[in-house]
Amino acid sequence: MKVFARNRALRDLAITLVVVFGVGSLAMLFAHVSPVVGFGALFDGAFGTKEEFAETLVQATNLLFPALGIAIAFRAGLFNIGAEGQLILGGLAAGWLGAEFPLPGYLAVPMVLVAGALAGGVWGAIPGFLRARFGANEVIATLMLNVVATLLATYLVGGPLAQAGGGDQETATLPKAAQLPDLLANSRLTWAFLIGLAVAFGLRWVLRRTVFGYELRAAGDAPEAARRAGIDLGRTALVAMALAGALAGLGGATIVAGVLHRFNTGLSPGYGFIAIAVALVGNLDPLWILLAALAFGMLQSGGVAMQAEAAVPREVVSLVTGLVIIALAGRRVLATRRTT
Amino acid sequence: MNALLATLGAVLGLTLVKATPLIYAALGGVLSERSGVVNIGLEGILIAGAFVSVVVSGATGSPVLGACAGVLAGALVAAVLAYAATRLAVDQIVAGTGINIAALAAAAYGLVLIYNQPGASHEVPALGQGGETALIVLAFVAAAVLHVVLSRTPWGLRVRACGEDPGAAESAGIDALRTRFWAVVIGGAIAGLGGVFLSLAELDLYSDGMTAGRGFIALAAVIFGRWTPFGATGAALFFGFFAALQYSLQRAGVPSELMQALPYLAALVALAGFAGRVRAPAADGVPFVRP
Repeated sequence: MKVFARNRALRDLAITLVVVFGVGSLAMLFAHVSPVVGFGALFDGAFGTKEEFAETLVQATNLLFPALGIAIAFRAGLFNIGAEGQLILGGLAAGWLGAEFPLPGYLAVPMVLVAGALAGGVWGAIPGFLRARFGANEVIATLMLNVVATLLATYLVGGPLAQAGGGDQETATLPKAAQLPDLLANSRLTWAFLIGLAVAFGLRWVLRRTVFGYELRAAGDAPEAARRAGIDLGRTALVAMALAGALAGLGGATIVAGVLHRFNTGLSPGYGFIAIAVALVGNLDPLWILLAALAFGMLQSGGVAMQAEAAVPREVVSLVTGLVIIALAGRRVLATRRTT
Repeated sequence: MNALLATLGAVLGLTLVKATPLIYAALGGVLSERSGVVNIGLEGILIAGAFVSVVVSGATGSPVLGACAGVLAGALVAAVLAYAATRLAVDQIVAGTGINIAALAAAAYGLVLIYNQPGASHEVPALGQGGETALIVLAFVAAAVLHVVLSRTPWGLRVRACGEDPGAAESAGIDALRTRFWAVVIGGAIAGLGGVFLSLAELDLYSDGMTAGRGFIALAAVIFGRWTPFGATGAALFFGFFAALQYSLQRAGVPSELMQALPYLAALVALAGFAGRVRAPAADGVPFVRP
């Protein structure tokens, strides 16, 4: 047990496993399904074939970007519940610009991704600005902006940005040049996964090796000391939130450019919220988050198979995700979170 | 003229119906936050109240028993948050977010287990027109009672003390953790009644997503109402009025999304301090740990 006392990351991992398998098994027993059969179907659906494993990686990628954004904000002492809204607006910007104003050749994909990151970044910067300028609580602000983002996207897609060729709730299809290239045939796995890997490693380097990363961590770990050392807390909050939004927005853009090839209001089944669990289980460290994203990606992709093969409603996946978040809410990293 | 009056009457009636669940949830939020615990989990509490009341009403045939069970369910879900926020001193926002996700999923799972169908329950015995009216009136009574309790009773003073400075409250002999725990649990019971109203008074069944973010609108009402029972009730009525107007205004060419976004935009404006001085309880959201 000593190792758990010393290493919080390991202890949290143990808690997570207990919640997932304990509560998951209980829920399956309520549905009169043996947990062995239920989890068997889940693992088989997530790893059984090459294509199924590819889908697990797709889901992991979709969770990775918003989780990295949430982690960055947490490290700066801010809670960004707004990843969902940032991701949706990033996807909308990517889908609309990519379909309407495609750049030629190799510029098309970068433009789509940059558009998504910018839109998400702006949406993240709003609560950052409100916080820096007016001291507005970023938690409530991001929570409110989530709903506003969803409504804004629904309005824009249904009205001003409505497409002749697209459906009611979606933009037109992206031209081939604006789509992320596939990594594996017969799957939805694209270069988005590799971009995610690069961003995770890059972010770790930024956090550990750059002045900005140091200031960000200082603002989160000891805001008063950071302020006395001359770090501008308001500016740090603004930049951290903009960066967090940009990461989630980039995630939305990769879903559009890689998975759906258009923006759709049903783009996210709550990636921005599941990503909170991913960030917490990942100990707010980009590399651990990679592994956590893989684990939750497995639950997402395997959950579908579990429902089909073992007749376990796949809501059990959301249930254990929510409980994992509750169980890990006591992390010490969060205890220093600035409140107002 | 008579037609206009009739329209006005219909809009005002609809306003009350739309505002009532918001009032209950917002009052629960006010009590919780005045004790120093931010209750992001209001949405989950509404879901629990709405779902459990339908299940119990269906099983027993008594909507009144169902309503009682819904209140109890709200209190129980709130107790999870309260225990985590007081004894375990966890991050309240993170825990509340988890509660919302878990409650939505648990209700969806329960639908499949109990009714053997995803999406919605069967129709169950509901409270009817009389029950609906009673619950609407009770919402305003609850606001008045909460106002008196918070501002005129020793327990209310203790709750507010814990929300402003739990350390000072403890040195005055108040058990801050216990006070916060019960404030959150009672707040959950009140908010649970909002869920009961949605499923057993406005309708006679539970369906996935029927709370539709009302817990978050209630949170906005708490802020816009400056953390007071009457303020939050007023804000809930204001938001309810626009929800009631939505259909008429949509016909007049105002996008319904704009109307739906209004509560959230209003809360942002209030948060940024554009709507006069707004101050949360000083220790709102700060876990208290005994030295």
